[in-house]
Amino acid sequence: MEGYRLMEDGEIEEGSATMADEQGSTNSEQQRTIDESPYEILQNTKASVENIISEMLSIKREGKSKSHIPELVTQMFLHFITLRQANRSILLEEDRVKTETERAKAPVDFTTLQLHNLMYEKSHYVKAIKACKDFKSKYPDIDLVPEDQFFRDAPQDIKDSVLSNDTAHNLMLKRLTFELFQRKELCKLHEKLEQQKKSLLETIANRKKFLTSLPSHLKSLKKASLPVQNQLGVLHTKKLKQHHSAELLPPALYVIYSQLLAQKEAFGEPIDLEIIGSLKDAQTFARNQAHKDTGIPTNVDSSKLEDDAPDEEEDGQRRRKRPRRVQGKEGVDRAGVFQVHPLKITIHVYDDEVSDPKPAKLITLKFEYLVKLKVVCVGIEGSNDGSENDILCNLFPNDTGIELPHQSAKLFVGDDILFYSQRTSRPYKWAQHLAGIDFLPEVSPLLLAGRETSDNGEAARGEDVIAGLSLYRQQNRVQTVLRRIRSRRKSQLALLEQLESLAKLEWPLLSCKSVPWALHSPLCNLDGWSAIRALPVPSEASSVAVIDKEEHVQESMDIDVVEYPGATKEELESITEDGELPTLRPNMSKFDHSKQLSLISKSITPLSKVRSQSFKRSDDNSDFLLDIESDLDEPAQVEREDENMSNYSAKKSVSWMDYGVKEFSLVLRRKISADERIVNLEAKIKISMEYPLRPPLFALGLRCISSGENHKEKDGLEWYNELRAMEAEVNLHMLKILPNDQQNYVLAHQVCCLAMLFDYYLEDAYPSTERINCTSVFDVGLCNPISGRFLSRSFRGRDHRKMISWKDMKFTSNCP
Amino acid sequence: MCGDATNWDEHGYKDSILKDRDFQTRTVFRTAWAPSLNPNPDTLLVASSDGSIASYSISSCISNLNTHSGLFNTSNDRLLAQAQPSCFIQGHDGPTYDLKFYGDGEDALLLSCGDDGRIRGWRWKELTGSNCSVSSHGNDMKPILDLVNPQHRGPWGALSPIPENNAIAVNTQEGSIFAASGDSCAYCWDLETGKVKMVFKGHSDYLHCIVARNSSNQIITGSEDGTARIWDCKSGKSVQVIDPGKDFKLEGSVSWVGCVALDASESWLACSSGRNISLWNLPASECISRISTQATVQDMLFENNQILAVGADPLLNRFDMNGVILSQIQCAPPSAFSISLYPTGVVAVGGYGCCVDVISQFGSHMCTFHCQCV
Repeated sequence: MEGYRLMEDGEIEEGSATMADEQGSTNSEQQRTIDESPYEILQNTKASVENIISEMLSIKREGKSKSHIPELVTQMFLHFITLRQANRSILLEEDRVKTETERAKAPVDFTTLQLHNLMYEKSHYVKAIKACKDFKSKYPDIDLVPEDQFFRDAPQDIKDSVLSNDTAHNLMLKRLTFELFQRKELCKLHEKLEQQKKSLLETIANRKKFLTSLPSHLKSLKKASLPVQNQLGVLHTKKLKQHHSAELLPPALYVIYSQLLAQKEAFGEPIDLEIIGSLKDAQTFARNQAHKDTGIPTNVDSSKLEDDAPDEEEDGQRRRKRPRRVQGKEGVDRAGVFQVHPLKITIHVYDDEVSDPKPAKLITLKFEYLVKLKVVCVGIEGSNDGSENDILCNLFPNDTGIELPHQSAKLFVGDDILFYSQRTSRPYKWAQHLAGIDFLPEVSPLLLAGRETSDNGEAARGEDVIAGLSLYRQQNRVQTVLRRIRSRRKSQLALLEQLESLAKLEWPLLSCKSVPWALHSPLCNLDGWSAIRALPVPSEASSVAVIDKEEHVQESMDIDVVEYPGATKEELESITEDGELPTLRPNMSKFDHSKQLSLISKSITPLSKVRSQSFKRSDDNSDFLLDIESDLDEPAQVEREDENMSNYSAKKSVSWMDYGVKEFSLVLRRKISADERIVNLEAKIKISMEYPLRPPLFALGLRCISSGENHKEKDGLEWYNELRAMEAEVNLHMLKILPNDQQNYVLAHQVCCLAMLFDYYLEDAYPSTERINCTSVFDVGLCNPISGRFLSRSFRGRDHRKMISWKDMKFTSNCP
Repeated sequence: MCGDATNWDEHGYKDSILKDRDFQTRTVFRTAWAPSLNPNPDTLLVASSDGSIASYSISSCISNLNTHSGLFNTSNDRLLAQAQPSCFIQGHDGPTYDLKFYGDGEDALLLSCGDDGRIRGWRWKELTGSNCSVSSHGNDMKPILDLVNPQHRGPWGALSPIPENNAIAVNTQEGSIFAASGDSCAYCWDLETGKVKMVFKGHSDYLHCIVARNSSNQIITGSEDGTARIWDCKSGKSVQVIDPGKDFKLEGSVSWVGCVALDASESWLACSSGRNISLWNLPASECISRISTQATVQDMLFENNQILAVGADPLLNRFDMNGVILSQIQCAPPSAFSISLYPTGVVAVGGYGCCVDVISQFGSHMCTFHCQCV
């Protein structure tokens, strides 16, 4: 029974063992039944005992004889013995079975253990198989080499090798081997390539290193080449740089730059262009501009942005930048509307005369662009005083450069004009024309480029610009302006030369001998030469007016001074009594000034001025001066009124022609031997900036000084017409004879011509010999007088014009 | 205006400057009032040194100039506005010196003389009617009269230049034109035939001026030689030689008789000599008074019993017969060559700078203008 239980505990399914066990027990029972198994003996004995007992009991109860009892007891004992025997045999049997079971259990246990081992082994294999099956390669996407390729490519030794009996497996193995082989090969290749790559990288790194060091090399090379470039005149580096910065120029300056450059390159115009200013500033400026145009509206912002920009630069540059920044900020604050674009163009204009291989530099101009006002300003580089700068004014008529060219700009500036006038560069109209402001769009090119494709209007505008540029070229603006600048500069140089010689009181030399006055050696002396006034300061219109007025005063003085001594006091009174009639005195100006302003300002000499002037000029007139002074009260007031009025008119209308005018006073002196008189011809010469296009204007006055009487006298009136005629000749008619190449020396010619005219006029006014009025001719050879005679005359016409004629460049003062 | 960098015409500009200067040096040699019955003067003829003869309507000038005078004009030199002539003819080559009307009303002839030695005549009616514009330069107007001074014969048959005519005078009764010529002769032309009727020889230098004393058929000429002569037209002989500068000669300066004037009664003669005017009573042949002015007298005339004189200063002087100065009026031309009187007393003064100043009988400036620059 225990064996069963053990078996049940250990291995339940072990059916076969149980079966064998059961068979075993059935076998032993069969044995017992064969030779009366102890259990049956036990059973039988028990039944016989029970029978004896029952008999005994029955004897006892029936009282029968006790004779049978001892036999019964003996029988009973016998049965007991049998019982014990049976029990013993059972126990023995049991022992035997037990040992037998024990013996049978050992193989069962061994087998079970074996089973377990096997099971374990199996599960291990299963697991291993699974693991193998689940094995993932590093490159799952790479398949095994396909079979056909394997057969094609695999080396023979792999193909032939037999690794397994199973053909499929064999094949697979072979394939795997091949795969392995192949992969190994590839690995090797990979390694090799890897190595190659490494070496390549190394070389690359080397070369890179070289390359990075190259720019600095190149730079130094470039730097080193600069002198050579300069020497050879191949300014390649500079040009590139300039091109680069040209892209950042505002459109107006760009037009100037590009057109001038084109002119230079196409026609060999002797000019040099240069863009100056900081590129970085320009870039930030352009950025800001773009920002502003696309939405950031306030000026403050943009200027701030601009100011902040340099801070982003690295520290090394910062120190350098700071001062400029401060200055820029100040500039913005101070100027506001006069904000200047950071880039400027300088142009060196050279002499274009062909003869000189290395032409002299005539002038250097600096163009700048005022961003807010949208105007181009020009100044002369390297000169800060205004007088130099005036060279550019009135290059073309009515272009003084002190007024802004556009109405809008004028409105924008308002009364700020005062500041404006202090600028050395000015917005001349010709500069605007040169910049093509008339056709350029208002938008910056950066934006334009961005929008052009999308916007039709912009495209149209672009076409406008192109059309404008072609017109620009057709109009030859560049040539015109350059030609004008050159001729202006040259003529100013020539003028300076002439002025210098005149200031030394020398007759200016005339290189041209084909004009009559060049051959005339003057009898009069060049007695005085002085500058009367410098240029009017353009900012102060009132001061200009004053100067202007004074000029008039002086002008009229020459003519009018005499009339005061002439008019006696009685006469004056008789006039004033006349009342309604306008008279000589200044109070006439009250009468009708609005209409007659010219008459007033032109010919009425303010008395105080007369006085001061007279003090200077004549001592003998003091009695007359007293007279005047007694009359002074009222006229003085009138004068002021008058002055105000002319101030008013002058403020509105300082003529552009008077801008930059230089005035000189020239005195020619001639001693008349006949009566010891000295005649002074005083010429006020007004030289405008447009010299020689507008030739100097002479205003003449005459003074006679009789040395004997020590009497000075203005003789202007008596000579009035003659003086006007001389003026006309000098200012106008002689210019027509002047050869073209002498235009720059027109002043010298004029002075010489004036001297000649003066000589001839004096000769006739104070004749040294009797005048011969008629010419009779005798033909000597024939010895008889030729009939007919001519009246020879030197004057003609109602204005008593003097006639001067010349033959073979030699004057004769008489005309047949 | 004159071009800028976009269309620069340097020669054009230079020419315009010179033209401008030329214009400023131009002189009005004679102003003349067109005959009119209107008490207010309406048309003023102006002869100037460029040979032009232009007529200006005073009323339109006044109205135009008034609009101008409101704004104080630009540069002080050119304050005066330019007036637009209503009629313009290029009368002569060289300056036109004198203008005279021959006859009155409908048949009036406008006579002009000039530096080219010609006397030309136009029908005034045609001129006013034709309305010839400035643009046509007036050259298409042919004069109906064209007289040329004779040339003198010199040695070997050389011809002298044609002498200029400095002044003309007319005698409508005789149909004569008198010309003061540059060859020191005065000529009397017959208007009908166009021939020289008489030559008055005697002066030793060229003639400046001439007036006709029609009541006694005489002419009076003033000459560069410093004398004035009275001529008898019938005989062509000099009746009297007046030397107004006799007393002034001492001063040493040579002066010529620039102008002579007769009063309405033709018995008083004013005769200039340099800065001086001498007044002669013709019947008595006596110098009555002498007047000194500050400048060379260049034109004068009688108004009633007063003498109006202009000269080389911008003043219009008014003297009485005794030589006392009555008034001086500032006038526009800095040197006046011409003074002309309208019967109602309006005076026109013309002179240097191509200025014309019209002064009313009360002494106010009616209008002042520059002649058109053509």
